Amino acid sequence: MKSFFKPITRRKFLKSGIAGGAIIATYPVWKLYSFSTPPSDFYVNPACNLSKETLEKLIEIALQKGGEFAEVYVEYNVGNQIYLEEDKIYGAGRGVDMGVGIRVLHGEKTGYAYSDDLSFERLKQTAEVASHISSEKGAQEYTGLKSSQVPSYYLVKVSPDSIIPQEKAKLLWKANSIGREYDERISQVNIGFSDTNKKIIIANSEGTWVEDVQTISRLFVSINAMEGDKRSRGYAYKDGTLGYEHYDLKVAEELAKDAGRMALAMLPAEDAPAGEYPIVMAKGHCGTFFHEAIGHSLESDGIRKKTSCFWDKEGKMIASPISSLADDGTVLGVRGTINVDDEGTPGQKTILINKGKCVNFLYDRLNAKLMKARLTGNGRRESYQHYPLPRMTNTYLMAGEDDPEDIVKSVKKGIYIARIGGGNVTWVTGRFVFSVPEGYLIEDGQITKPLKGIQLMGSGPEVLKNIVMVGPDMEILGGGTCGKNGQGKPVSDGNPTLKVSKITIGGAKV
Amino acid sequence: MNYRLLAENIVKKALKSGADEAEVYLVADRDFELDVRNGDVETIKQATSKGLGLTVFKDKKLGFTYTSDFSDASLEEFIKKTVQLSLVADPKPWNGLPDFKKGKLQDLDLYDPSISEIPSEKKIEMAKEAEKIALAYDKRITKSQGGSFGDSERETVIVNSKGISYSSKRTGVYFGVSVVAGEGDEMQSGGWGCSKRHFKDLDTIEDVAKKAGKRAVEKLGAKPVETQQVPVVIDRYAAPAFWYGILFAMNGDSVYKKTTFLTEHLDKPVASELITLVDDPTVLRHNSSVPFDGEGNLTQKNVLIGEGVLKMFLYDTITARKAGVKVNTIARRYGYRSPTSAGFLNAIVQNGIVPREKIISEIKNGYYVTGLRGIGTDIPTGNYSCGSSGFWIKDGTTAFPVDGVTLGGNALDMLKNIEVLANDLELRGSLNSPSFKIAELAVGGEK
Repeated sequence: MKSFFKPITRRKFLKSGIAGGAIIATYPVWKLYSFSTPPSDFYVNPACNLSKETLEKLIEIALQKGGEFAEVYVEYNVGNQIYLEEDKIYGAGRGVDMGVGIRVLHGEKTGYAYSDDLSFERLKQTAEVASHISSEKGAQEYTGLKSSQVPSYYLVKVSPDSIIPQEKAKLLWKANSIGREYDERISQVNIGFSDTNKKIIIANSEGTWVEDVQTISRLFVSINAMEGDKRSRGYAYKDGTLGYEHYDLKVAEELAKDAGRMALAMLPAEDAPAGEYPIVMAKGHCGTFFHEAIGHSLESDGIRKKTSCFWDKEGKMIASPISSLADDGTVLGVRGTINVDDEGTPGQKTILINKGKCVNFLYDRLNAKLMKARLTGNGRRESYQHYPLPRMTNTYLMAGEDDPEDIVKSVKKGIYIARIGGGNVTWVTGRFVFSVPEGYLIEDGQITKPLKGIQLMGSGPEVLKNIVMVGPDMEILGGGTCGKNGQGKPVSDGNPTLKVSKITIGGAKV
Repeated sequence: MNYRLLAENIVKKALKSGADEAEVYLVADRDFELDVRNGDVETIKQATSKGLGLTVFKDKKLGFTYTSDFSDASLEEFIKKTVQLSLVADPKPWNGLPDFKKGKLQDLDLYDPSISEIPSEKKIEMAKEAEKIALAYDKRITKSQGGSFGDSERETVIVNSKGISYSSKRTGVYFGVSVVAGEGDEMQSGGWGCSKRHFKDLDTIEDVAKKAGKRAVEKLGAKPVETQQVPVVIDRYAAPAFWYGILFAMNGDSVYKKTTFLTEHLDKPVASELITLVDDPTVLRHNSSVPFDGEGNLTQKNVLIGEGVLKMFLYDTITARKAGVKVNTIARRYGYRSPTSAGFLNAIVQNGIVPREKIISEIKNGYYVTGLRGIGTDIPTGNYSCGSSGFWIKDGTTAFPVDGVTLGGNALDMLKNIEVLANDLELRGSLNSPSFKIAELAVGGEK
């Protein structure tokens, strides 16, 4: 669901800062093998609960022109949002999206149609439209659906949809008063709480029939500070596949303080120097870099079409031998976590780069089939209006062995990236630009002055080779909405403290 | 279904449920998309969809909801819930529907009935043809990212309890192609497309496809340059990214909150005298033209910057009331899932008189920017820093492709230092500009 208040500029990655309470990814020891049952207080329009017979009938219709594979995706999605600015509750909003998408695959071809009218007559037409991608004679054999259940990696006891907005407003007021009192230079405090509650049903011609309820919640604090003609902004958030039991006044207070701290830290920032420097990335907050500059180029569609810079690199060294990269949809309670992907494949962990070597890619069903690869649980779509694409879930650079303090000490003159911001990457070349909302100068092994206007530039494949130190302190603290081919999808990312030997910094100071 | 009637009924019911004022914004779409790759159809997608956003005001408090579930029972519940939700918000004296009266909609010729009759075979043929021509453009073009074709039809309805009730229909048609050029280990992608309201207005397949091929090949061998201060020419297709930053900085709500660097600049020179920037959503048949804005105000042309002087900020009704200004409001709507916000609808930087080639030919050592990565401008401070790609200019001609280079400076200085405006304006989207030359700018590269 989109944000209904305060439309944000569409960027490749709508990105913000950190979680207050650290969501630590100490997988897989904590995996809770409870079964995914919807919280009872999340209301789903009964019209969405298509019966087994209806689903089977629709699959049959979709296959009638000889398509090799057919799938029905049903979605009911409720979103809530409440927003505070200028010492007032701006408003509370609520939205409902409901619909069915039907897909037929035939060789490399995809037929897709969707409807938000759930009457059988309209769904039948929708299935017929999708079926036309194939024009073979005779329908495929189809043996019916088998219900399957999957383990749950969400941390949801209380559905945020069951909490009245007046209750959520208390969190906003708390963060507002803490933020305002934090320092007299604070000029603006904006806070929002949002949640999406999505029930999906996926049924396909291979017999898969699975349901999932996906809850994502987020408390966000943004603070502006002002002194003379200097301006700065700080932010903090907590989000994840989390129930409302994870939010209280203490969380709101911590987030407000953290956002205030960042705003004040950046207030005296000076223009960043331009040129080539070593950089250190702080743990947890810079994973977006790996998501954008590396992860997208490891998605199987670009590999199959040979349009990714890594298309011929499987089994080859593409990074320094201390660098390993993983995507893991089963990290407990973080934003990109999924019990099943949007094709019904269970969420899983996939190592993409192992000690510098490219060992796997991220697959959806179509590309896995065409490339004769194993499914990795990365077939994801924004909604019933979209067909699945290979997409990341929670992506992170894996832990190494260097002492984080030594990493900073090893830099004579360089840049410390405390948080990375939005990025822009050309996937064919891996060439990127990232902004840095919180960064500092490193002089003689010490973090010194705050810097503004830092732009990191370069190419993903080059940076991978220049990762020279990696700490053991991996955390997943980044989370946002990733955009690909016009589809937004929630993801998380993480990293340990690390050093890149050189990267181009574009700054205002020449 | 008569959506205007449905919207009028929902507004009435909202008042019955206790709202003081109500507004429905409804969108109904029909979409078709297809992609081909390597001469074969890859995806076909088609659908119809609809949704509505309901805004209510109760005791000056705002409630907003949206839904795509139009069944009678669901709508009843939805209306009640919206009124309840408004009670959570704090009252604000400026909340409420706009004051303007109903008028007569202009016919902007945005609907082409022939689009729904284009046979599928022809759509597939156009996408295939575009791909074929782009692949054949140069032997270094080795891979296709696909050709595509799309068409759509949209009905937009706005009804409010103060008597506004409009419906407007428009069509859209699109085709494009994207290819990859390679040399050694290097790959560069390039794509181009054309999008219009009327089928007849589309560029030729040949023009679009060749442009895609050219854009891939010409980037091969791109490299950074050394850090220096040089004259910079921003190409017309890269320029919108820069103007986005300027237009964000003109948002009336940010002005009210003093969070934009333009806060104190109304009626003052902010740009070179060459610059006139208008918002004009009334251009006939144009993609970004609309007869009414996001709150049901009839659209018109507004001058935002006139000969370098900042003439107006962007307000919708609520932000204008809040700021206590009396101006022409321009309300933007990002679909039915969000309420109105202040914004521009179809911004145009007026065309210049000098051919772009001539501007470049008069530069001894400079940078011709054809790609900007992001808006670059930091709205509170006006600091500008942006990744870019393009061509290096040596002795009046483009010598080699450049990538991985930042432009750094200050947005106000850049605006004031616009020395020459090219005569190559082409209306493509909601933000349109000719190419222009900035006298001098910091270009940050390798060292």
